[in-house]
Formats: sequence, structure tokens, C-alpha cells
Amino acid sequence: MNERQDAVEVVGLRKVFERRARRGLLRRAPNGAKTLIAVDGIDFRVKRGEIFGLLGPNGAGKTTTIKMLCTLLSPTSGTARVAGHDVVREAAKVRSSLGTVLTGERSVYWKLTGRENLRYYAALYRIPRRKARERIAELLERLELAGRADELVEKYSSGMKQRLALARALLPSPPILLLDEPTVGLDPQAARNLRQTIFDLQAEGKTVLLTTHYMAEADDLCDRIAIIDQGKVIALDSPAALKEGLGAKEGVRLEIQGEPNGLGDALRAVASVESVAVRPSANGVGTCELQVITSSSRRSIGPIIESVRAAGHEVVHFQVVQPTLEDVFISLTGKSLRD
Amino acid sequence: MIGTLLAIARKDLIMFFRYPINAVFRIVEPIMWLTPAFFLGRGFSVDGTATGFAAYTGTGDFFSFILLGSLLGAYISAVFWGIGYSLKMEMDSGVLESNWMTPVPRLAFLVGRTLTSLVVTTLNCTGVLLASWLLFGFSAGGPVGKAMLITLPMLAGLYGFGFAFAGLVLLMRDANTLVDVSSFLVGELSGRGFPVTVLPRALMVISLVLPTTYGFDAVRALLLGTKPLLPLGVAAVVLVGFMVAMLVLGGMAFSAIERVCRARGTLGMH
Ligand SMILES: Nc1ncnc2c1ncn2[C@@H]1O[C@H](COP(=O)(O)OP(=O)(O)O)[C@@H](O)[C@H]1O
Ligand SMILES: [Mg+2]
Repeated sequence: MNERQDAVEVVGLRKVFERRARRGLLRRAPNGAKTLIAVDGIDFRVKRGEIFGLLGPNGAGKTTTIKMLCTLLSPTSGTARVAGHDVVREAAKVRSSLGTVLTGERSVYWKLTGRENLRYYAALYRIPRRKARERIAELLERLELAGRADELVEKYSSGMKQRLALARALLPSPPILLLDEPTVGLDPQAARNLRQTIFDLQAEGKTVLLTTHYMAEADDLCDRIAIIDQGKVIALDSPAALKEGLGAKEGVRLEIQGEPNGLGDALRAVASVESVAVRPSANGVGTCELQVITSSSRRSIGPIIESVRAAGHEVVHFQVVQPTLEDVFISLTGKSLRD
Repeated sequence: MIGTLLAIARKDLIMFFRYPINAVFRIVEPIMWLTPAFFLGRGFSVDGTATGFAAYTGTGDFFSFILLGSLLGAYISAVFWGIGYSLKMEMDSGVLESNWMTPVPRLAFLVGRTLTSLVVTTLNCTGVLLASWLLFGFSAGGPVGKAMLITLPMLAGLYGFGFAFAGLVLLMRDANTLVDVSSFLVGELSGRGFPVTVLPRALMVISLVLPTTYGFDAVRALLLGTKPLLPLGVAAVVLVGFMVAMLVLGGMAFSAIERVCRARGTLGMH
């Protein structure tokens, strides 16, 4: 990788899956093969030393993109280069410049200890034995696994398994890291620690490309973000610039009792309301949440509350907020990131 | 490369012996399978010789015939299981992708993973031989080294078969039954448990097309003095040819299927 080269360079990358209907032993599939466009011609560049995020809801195509970059999937069309190497033509070089964590917890052997896992993977990366021993000790220490390195992985917590997976990815000292939803399934404290580790790695000069569907995480961690939805990059900039792009707009959060039947459309009809996303609240008390973006909360609050009342709902909670990345996503797609 | 293969084998061995009682049981278990064959053979024997059997094979020593067949058969299943089954296990547990993201060539994983099952099989066979010697008075005569030499190309050829098979596992995922049935059929039709000359014409044709048949046959001819189907030299050439052809074809088949899977995205736990 020379000085001015981008760490990751993606041009017109596309992945189309053939969806095979399940076939019986003798029956042919009734409606033939359908295709699903998982990644629909995306472009982005990750600069060296940057933490770059792919932010998007489930099914947006994030994992598919990462898998194409780490050579587990072949692109349908378009090109991608990692550390200057083409992911199709120079797959072996790509694999040795990358540390990738996909489904972290599952990428290590549960019936081996943490240390045995790392020793095994070090051999696969052809790290000489003595050097491997030092490197493993150092990584175990740094990822706070040293104390339990000789216990079976199945006894580890999710956070520890995730850290072990990261240690595995760091074994060959790759200049570039790909992390697919690194904090999914971690408790808040463990997630915070992992984010700190990612910052530390950046400080050591590593480039990090990560995916997430947590907008706060993307906001906190990433230097730049590509917002991705239905296989397309719909916005790409720094978190601050993305939020500024909303200008003087404001977010209004409403929590109402009951099902929002048709309320979204009613609110969209209110003057100065730009977009509305509806999602069931996960609080178990039968309320749901409406996320409204408005060009002026002053002018729209009255009509919003009237519409809600007119539809027979009770407002349980109401709040005007500064736009977040979530609002950026809502204003771009008209839906919530967390459906 | 050797270092990588050993690392893979070492990892599998650690996991195999992680539960020692289980491991020991799996090693001694095959001894029990042979016991019925011994008494069955004795039941059909007159003065220690199974005469009808001798007419087909040229030896009346039914038990030794079965014993050698079982030992070789165990290696056949070791290659089948080592490749197909462990590939499926790794797909299901999710570690396959993290292995395949490393710069190690994918065929090396397939070979590496059979090493442990070959070691376990060798332990099995040693146990069986020891038990046969102690309990049933089995003793091998003849050129043992030569017999082992002739099985090498057969085993290597089976690796080729195993590669193609691994491809099928990648495509179908739920290949347990497939592994079981094909390993069983190849074993039986190669004459693991009986002389293939007793088979009806249609099945015998299949048997005689399987190169493994000549491997079993040659080993028995060498060690038990049975009538060989082919002269030993010819059998050796057949087996070496089989080895080369199967390694090349199997490797190609696997690579082609692996490419298909990379396009379809069916490697992981989608
Ligand atoms: N191997 C596959 N075969 C068929 N469809 C797939 C495959 N992998 C992913 N998909 C589909 O592609 C879309 C994008 O998936 P994914 O990249 O996993 O999204 P994300 O990681 O953003 O949640 C989804 O609709 C998913 O169902
Ligand atoms: Mg994903």
C-alpha cells in the first residue's frame, strides 16, 4: 500500500443472489429462480487510518459488502480493492492484508481454549512459532483475556468471545480491519470497551471499516459514514456533516398508546412535517413511537398533537430533539433505522 | 505447508481428546463389531475351514478375510468422514469462514482435517488387531510392508474422491446421510465384508469398476494367499492410475463447486 492509496476502494460493486425456492426431491420449483439484489452498485473509499462505517438497517447489504471485501463472496460486478489489491484477482494478497471479524462469537472454536484458538490461527497465518507465542501473549493481555486464556471458549461471555475474535483478526498485524456489527449482542459496558479498543487501534495507525445498525455507535466511532439502504449508498459524509445536511430541521419524538393505524399518513399531511417513521416501542406496555422530522417544531407541534388526538390516541410522551443520524436516515428513507 | 497441516491436525486432536473417556470408547468400540463375524465364521466352518467360502476365495480363513476388509474399510470411512463431515461441522458452527479468510489454500483444510481421523483410525485398527490376536488367535503372515505400500495409492485416490465429496457437502450442506450411504456402499461393493465374486452380475460390474476393489483384493492376496482378481502388478498400476485421476478430478471438482458457493454465498450461516 503506497502512501497516497486508499485502504479500501469500492467502485460500482454489486451482488445479486439467486433466490432458489426450496425444491422437493422430485418436484421442480414452482416459480423458478428469482433474484435478490443485495448490493446495488455502491461506491466508497476508505482512507488510510480512518474509521469508516457502513450504517444501515438489517438487510441493507452491509454483511454482503464485507464478505465481498474479504473474498468470501465473489461480486456479481464492479470492483473492490483492499490495500491496493483486487479482491477477485489477488484474493490471497487481500486475505493477508486484512483482519476480518464477521460473526465474532462463532468464528472461534468453543471446544478450544482462547490460547489454543490463537495458536491455531497463528499457524494458518504462518507466523513462526516463537513469534506467535509472543504475539498471542500480547494480544491476550491487550484484550483483557490473559487471565482466562486457558479456559474453554464455551465458558466465555459474549464480550470475551468477541474480543477473542478480534484478537484472532489482529494476529497477522493487518493494516486494515473489517468488523461486521462488532458490538451486536454485547452489554452496554462491553460495547463501550470494544469501541475504545477500536479507537486505540486507529491510534496505532490501523484502518477500520465497520458496519453497524446502531446510529449512535456510528456517530460516536466513525470519521465518515456511508448510509446504506436496500443495497445502495444513500449518503456519505462525516457524522457532523450528515446532521448539518438537515439544516435547521428538528426531530419530534412521540410515544402514543395503541396501534398507529394510518396515523403516519395523517402526520405526513401536516404542513412543515417532512417525514415520519413509525415503530413499535419495545417497552412491552403497548405503546408505539413516532419519529417526525419537521422544518419547524414551533409551527408543527400543535397540528401534530391535534392529529394524534383526532385519531383517538393518547400522547404518552413528547420530545423535541436535535437531529441525530437516525433523523438523517428517516429523512432520506421515510423509515426508522431500527424496524 | 506441512506446518499448516499439522496445526490443523493438532487442533482436531486436542478437541478429540478433550473428553478422554469418549475418545477411549471411540477407539476401542470397533473391536466389538468384529466379534459377531468371528462367531459367524466359526459357525459355518468345518474343522476350522469355511469350505464354501474357500471355494470363492482360496482361503478358508473367513475371520482374517473379514478382519482385513474391516481395517481397510475403516480407512475409507476415515477419509470420507474426515473430509465431508468435518466440513459440515465447521460450516454449522460458523468457523469455516474464519478459516477460509486466512491465506491457506482451501484444499489444505480438507487434507488437514482427515489427518486426525486417520490417526484415530490407526489407533482403532491397532486395538482391533491386538484384540484379534489375543482373543481370536489372528496372526498375519506374508509381506505386510508390501501390503501397506499397495494401500497408499488407494488411500490417496480416495482423497480425490473426498475432495469432490466435500464439494457436494458445500452444495447440499445436510450431507450426513450422503456421507454415510456412499461410504457404506463403496466399502461394501469393494468387498469389505465378502468376496465380490459372490455378487450377482449387475452388482459385480460396479464392484469391478471400483478401483478400491483391487486394493482390498491385493492386500488379501498378499497376506492371506487368496486368489487375486488381477495380477498384483496390474492392481498396483490400476491403483496408481486411480490415485492420479481422482486427485486431479476431485481437486478440480471441489474448486469449481467452491467457486459456485462463493457466488451463491452459501458458505456461512446465512
Ligand atoms: N447467501 C445469500 N443468498 C441469498 N440471499 C442473501 C444471501 N446473503 C444475504 N442475502 C440477502 O441479501 C440481503 C442483504 O443481506 P446482508 O448483507 O446480510 O444485510 P445486512 O448485513 O445489512 O443486514 C438480505 O435481503 C439477505 O436476505
Ligand atoms: Mg449483517
